[in-house]
Amino acid sequence: MTSELEQELKHLIIDTLELEDVTPEDIDPDEPLFVEGLGLDSIDALELGLALQKRYGIKLESDSDETRHHFRNLRTLAALVEERRTA
Amino acid sequence: MTTPAMMYVHDWRAWQPGRRDTSHPRLSVAEKPAGSHVPAMLRRRLTGIGRALCDMLAELDVDADCPLLYASRHGDGERTLEMLNALAEEAPLSPARFGLSVHNAIPGVYSIGRGNRRTQQAIAASGDEFAALLVEARGYLAQGESSVIIAFAEQAIPVRFAEHFTTPTDTAAVALRVSLTPARDSWALTPRPLASDATTEGSPQPSDLIDWLCGARDELHCHRPRQAWSLVRAE
Repeated sequence: MTSELEQELKHLIIDTLELEDVTPEDIDPDEPLFVEGLGLDSIDALELGLALQKRYGIKLESDSDETRHHFRNLRTLAALVEERRTA
Repeated sequence: MTTPAMMYVHDWRAWQPGRRDTSHPRLSVAEKPAGSHVPAMLRRRLTGIGRALCDMLAELDVDADCPLLYASRHGDGERTLEMLNALAEEAPLSPARFGLSVHNAIPGVYSIGRGNRRTQQAIAASGDEFAALLVEARGYLAQGESSVIIAFAEQAIPVRFAEHFTTPTDTAAVALRVSLTPARDSWALTPRPLASDATTEGSPQPSDLIDWLCGARDELHCHRPRQAWSLVRAE
């Protein structure tokens, strides 16, 4: 089951990262977002960090283990937004 | 007496969206070039001109083994201006846009996408891009490269800068595979010095090269150096 927030994040990822050939259905909430799975790269990680800051007011350390954990897949990302959003 | 050919053009490709006056099998006028020769995850960061160039280069260099000399006077003016505006407003820059704001961005993406690890050069020459490309190409060919790809691309100048330029720029890109030896169906590229009183039309733009390659003009003139180039089918 995909939550409303997860659905919103799928659109955020597709729009921000200009994933023109990807649909929300293609993003499996439990699959990795980076390298494997969706196949995003390090520039995408920075871009996504910026988008989270703009949309939800969440500031992350760019190269910490914690950030790595939050960016693992869509579910961990949704949990982060749920917990830390200020907007 | 005929001047010896400077080099031979073995093949070429061009892209000029919306161009109506010329139809040619080597010219694409697609508004949205596919960029199908580059994987989707790389392609997504390219604009139309980058996609068009990647397709043209892939067709000209099937084995992805030629050095690439790329020239553009202005690069991506719109995106550069967007970033400058963001900086002026102290807004954060998009890392992806910033990463692709370097002059060699398109050749770089092409090289990753096609696995071409040969030499690449990105040139801006204040309007003398075509002359600079020929000089550089000649150097690589003289060093023993059997063929070299030269590419020249420009986009329309942002409105905010337009008043500072007298040469109108159409969005267009052109790429040629050149060599010191003729091949079947190649063209001999021959230079001649322009007389000091000859009037020239300013710096040749990619769209002028397309006219010339399509046979719509006999010579391509450049005021600095005062030089003209002609293309004749090699025997």
